[in-house]
Amino acid sequence: MDFQTLLQLTVGGLLLGAVYALAAAGLNLIFGVMRVVNFAHGDLMMLGAYTTFWLYQLWGINPVVGLFAAMPLLFALGWVLQRFLVNRLVGQPPLMSLIMLWGVSLIIINAGLLAWTSNVRSVPYFSGGIDLAGISISRSRGAAFLMATVLSVAVWLFLQRTRWGKAIRATAQSAEMALVCGINVDRVRLLTFGLAAAMAGAAGNLLITILAISPGVGPTFLLKAFAIIVIGGLGSFQGAFIGALVVGVLESFSSFTISAQAADAVVYFALILFLLVRPGGLMGARE
Amino acid sequence: MSWARWGVLGLTLAVLAALPLLLPSYRTAFLLLTFMYVTLASSWNIIAGYTGYVSFGHAAFFGLGAYTAALLIIRLGVHWLAAAFAGAFVAALLALPLGFVLLRLRGPYFAIAMLGLAAALEVVANTWVTLTRGGSGLNLPPALSLVQVYFAMGLAMVAVVAVSYRIITSRYGLRLVAIREDEQAAEAMGINTTVHKVSAFVISAFFPGLVGGFYAWHLSYIDPNSVFRPILSIGMVIMTMFGGIGTVSGPILGGVLLSLVSEVFWARLPELHRGVFGALIIIVILLLPGGIISLLKSRGMLPQNWRV
Repeated sequence: MDFQTLLQLTVGGLLLGAVYALAAAGLNLIFGVMRVVNFAHGDLMMLGAYTTFWLYQLWGINPVVGLFAAMPLLFALGWVLQRFLVNRLVGQPPLMSLIMLWGVSLIIINAGLLAWTSNVRSVPYFSGGIDLAGISISRSRGAAFLMATVLSVAVWLFLQRTRWGKAIRATAQSAEMALVCGINVDRVRLLTFGLAAAMAGAAGNLLITILAISPGVGPTFLLKAFAIIVIGGLGSFQGAFIGALVVGVLESFSSFTISAQAADAVVYFALILFLLVRPGGLMGARE
Repeated sequence: MSWARWGVLGLTLAVLAALPLLLPSYRTAFLLLTFMYVTLASSWNIIAGYTGYVSFGHAAFFGLGAYTAALLIIRLGVHWLAAAFAGAFVAALLALPLGFVLLRLRGPYFAIAMLGLAAALEVVANTWVTLTRGGSGLNLPPALSLVQVYFAMGLAMVAVVAVSYRIITSRYGLRLVAIREDEQAAEAMGINTTVHKVSAFVISAFFPGLVGGFYAWHLSYIDPNSVFRPILSIGMVIMTMFGGIGTVSGPILGGVLLSLVSEVFWARLPELHRGVFGALIIIVILLLPGGIISLLKSRGMLPQNWRV
């Protein structure tokens, strides 16, 4: 493998990683605030992707505009899930909510298969590539990277600079103390799940311009997002980005050297390895 | 156990043994699969229900057993019973080192690591084409006698239920429960938690490997999707939780009831399979986390101190 290929694969992986990071950061946010692992996260990504696909397919709506339909829709869905299901299990052993959300995931997959069949779909809106210092960057990946970065920065600013963001961070540190300080913890949790679902939806929206996606893809996405936050460090917002870049590059190299399908297995093995060797992740504190 | 209970047990087994002579082969095949599901749920219950380590990827062991048995039958002409036992030993052998490393993880981490393992094994079965023929699957010589497989599955079920019962009524089982309730306290009381967890994990991998081999022989065809599919892992979770997790009778009750439901309902509406599973999981977790057994207890139909 010459240097040019190496660089090409790294850049391709980094671009993809930024999109994964957006989804993983949402998973991390829910875990940080509620100690709940959202098993349906990958399925929320799928719903975001399909919203975009149908808007494009039926009315030719630009996926960038589709983003502003997918995000509010998924925010609402996340809100509803939190309000009626997850809320009842916050504070209980994390396995309870995990198993319950597996049920949610199955229902979403089943509904998706019924409504849209198991065909893979994509939105080939951006085609071609740009040549940058000898490396060719596909337009779709470049655009997805830009959007993902903008959204991630926006979420980060929201968490750092606004009152609601502060309330979310406070609840993540200690729900009880937050409650004592007069923060409406229930509402913070609703907002958190809604926001995280919107981030998943946005990631799905961006991914469907790069990859072909079928309604059953959720668990694959979930495992990748989970691998990312484990590698980066659970509960660490920045860690998700480092983890995502690692996973993106790992995936791009293994699909080049072995096969696209084997790339998934490589990521799963990396997940298991990291859980064992460095459970705190690269950035996370030791629990 | 009292003589009355032994009598009921003996009678049940005698009826089950006589059934394939009376029933049409379609019904026999249904019972055979019910035995398989009860075996899978009971095995899963040993690590998840007794020991508290919920696995989301137990299909890994089922698939491994199925592939080992199928390859031994096809490539080496091994007898199917011997091949299935070899599959069980391979599954248990994999569980041994895996248990040492994975059982250091707790709660959701262990669950998702197992999910990743099953998914990775499915990818391996799909990509290692020279060994497994990949997605086109393996064809086995047809199993001519349904009754033989029926008895094999039935005996596997009886064995795993007996093992479950033996465990939970022994000191060993009490130690497993202690680990489930509070691992640090168990450790502090002098229980070698690693040995206990790993041995429970190995036992809970052995039986899925065994019935995986029987299943491959029964169907005469396997592919990566059919033996590693996540719905199998989900099935073990939902059957056990529906019946009553952590009890001997829960997985039996859940396995039989869900097999019946699937026979009546899903045979007509196969496209709703996953959704109904999903809805059941949500309902059980939210409304009935102890399963039917706990419902029967609270209604006074079972004694409060019922543990099996």
